[in-house]
Amino acid sequence: MKTWLTHHAQALRLVLSRFKQNKLSTMLICLSIGVTLALPSVAYIVLDNLNGLVSGVKSESKISVFLTDKHDKALVSSIEKTLKQNHAIQQVIYVSKEDALEQLTAIDANKSMLDSLQGNPLPDAFFVEPKSLDATSIDALKIELSKIDGVETVLVDGIWIKRLNSFLLLGKKILVILAGLLGFALIAVIANTIRMQILTQSAEIELSQLIGATKSFIRRPFLYIGGLYGFGGGVLALLITWLTILFLNRTIQTIANSYQSNFNLHFLPLNEFLVILAMSIALGWLSAYFSLSTKSKKL
Amino acid sequence: MITFDNVTKRYPGSIDAISNTSFNIEQGELVYVTGHSGAGKSTLLKLMAAIERPTNGTVLINNQNVSKLKEATLPFIRRKFGLIFQDHKLLYDRNCFQNVALPLAINGITGQEAAKRIRAALDKVGLLNREKSMPITLSGGEQQRLAIARAVVSKPAILIADEPTGNLDKNYAADILTLFKAFQQVGVTVIIATHDALGRTDNENQLSEKIESQHISPENTQSESKVLHLNHGKLISKSISEVSL
Repeated sequence: MKTWLTHHAQALRLVLSRFKQNKLSTMLICLSIGVTLALPSVAYIVLDNLNGLVSGVKSESKISVFLTDKHDKALVSSIEKTLKQNHAIQQVIYVSKEDALEQLTAIDANKSMLDSLQGNPLPDAFFVEPKSLDATSIDALKIELSKIDGVETVLVDGIWIKRLNSFLLLGKKILVILAGLLGFALIAVIANTIRMQILTQSAEIELSQLIGATKSFIRRPFLYIGGLYGFGGGVLALLITWLTILFLNRTIQTIANSYQSNFNLHFLPLNEFLVILAMSIALGWLSAYFSLSTKSKKL
Repeated sequence: MITFDNVTKRYPGSIDAISNTSFNIEQGELVYVTGHSGAGKSTLLKLMAAIERPTNGTVLINNQNVSKLKEATLPFIRRKFGLIFQDHKLLYDRNCFQNVALPLAINGITGQEAAKRIRAALDKVGLLNREKSMPITLSGGEQQRLAIARAVVSKPAILIADEPTGNLDKNYAADILTLFKAFQQVGVTVIIATHDALGRTDNENQLSEKIESQHISPENTQSESKVLHLNHGKLISKSISEVSL
């Protein structure tokens, strides 16, 4: 156990001293890893935030059921009863034409426009909140509701949410592909760098093998180099991502303010932050492993 | 300590580098492996140091059969040897001290303990004041001595040197030979490969004379010594008297 620890400490010291000697090239490789990883990270954060925004809007999604002009109180209550019995419906709110007019008048901007009208042009309406939000069940509900006697039109408010959701899904798929491809590119870059280092140290490796170094003794420093590249790259990636989010948020806030929203991008929570860092380290380690395996079967 | 029994080593696509060779080396012996270039001296040394495995026959090192050992255990066998290579194999990207530190690092010895042993080894070969120098700044003889320091720093039981005096003038060669004798006298088995008697240059002739004179000199009579003379991969003789030095 003690020898094992000594060997690891020794490998780590050796690697760190090599990094110290080649500060610039170490920085450059870490930076290239950082930039490559920052790209999908930023995309992920943007998508994740939009997703949160959309799911917040979802609960407001409603179906408006407008009634025909000619109806009496009995019809309204019978419709209300039918709606409340429907299992696909979460909540029903009845807004009479008088209430609707009152709500509109409450907004100053509408006053002059409404004053010019004679009488109340608004219909009585039910606002229905469906239980399920997927497209097919909403469509089915819409058809069902329009068949009810006394109903003139049925409008689904959230149609744009459906579209946005599809776009977000597409975005997620693109992100997965992008992250996968960039991951491969990273493995190629790190593996190649480590392969070059194995080549420059071939004299030392050969000598070490001749005088009794075990395979793991020779492999260990290179695996550490890979892991540390990954670590450095990961830290830089998160730094770059953080700065990008800060930069984007200034513009986003301006846009959001114009929509009376205080939406802005949130940086990753700690656990996702750690996942990205761990993935980066694993990528570096794997790359080193690959390049050691392909370089020579003896290693 | 090292036993060869009908050992044959054949490299793919070539004739036998070593064929049907049997001998035994005891602890504390001084052994010269002689023969012309290509006679198989280096192959014999590699077989002894468990760097190569025999094609046929058995090589026993401390009663362990090299052919039957797992690949993973070979490094531990190799650590019993101090190797001095024909081309030194010094690492030119680090100083003398760090060069000598490598075998200790492989054995997991670092820090103060390592530093003490490295300085002792450098002192033994007379390079203590050069510990910070880069190997490229050393003369040929000094480089050879540095290689010896590296070979002995982990206190091996067996010292194997491939043409240790090949490129050196006679004074340096004599120095180095004396060094090897000193190790043998403290119980280390020393195995030295050197050129064949017939193909020698003047310097090497003198070296051999030196070897000879040391063997017959009275103060060395108590130590055993042996010559393994190779010719085209075959062991011609095993004793010093049969070789025309």
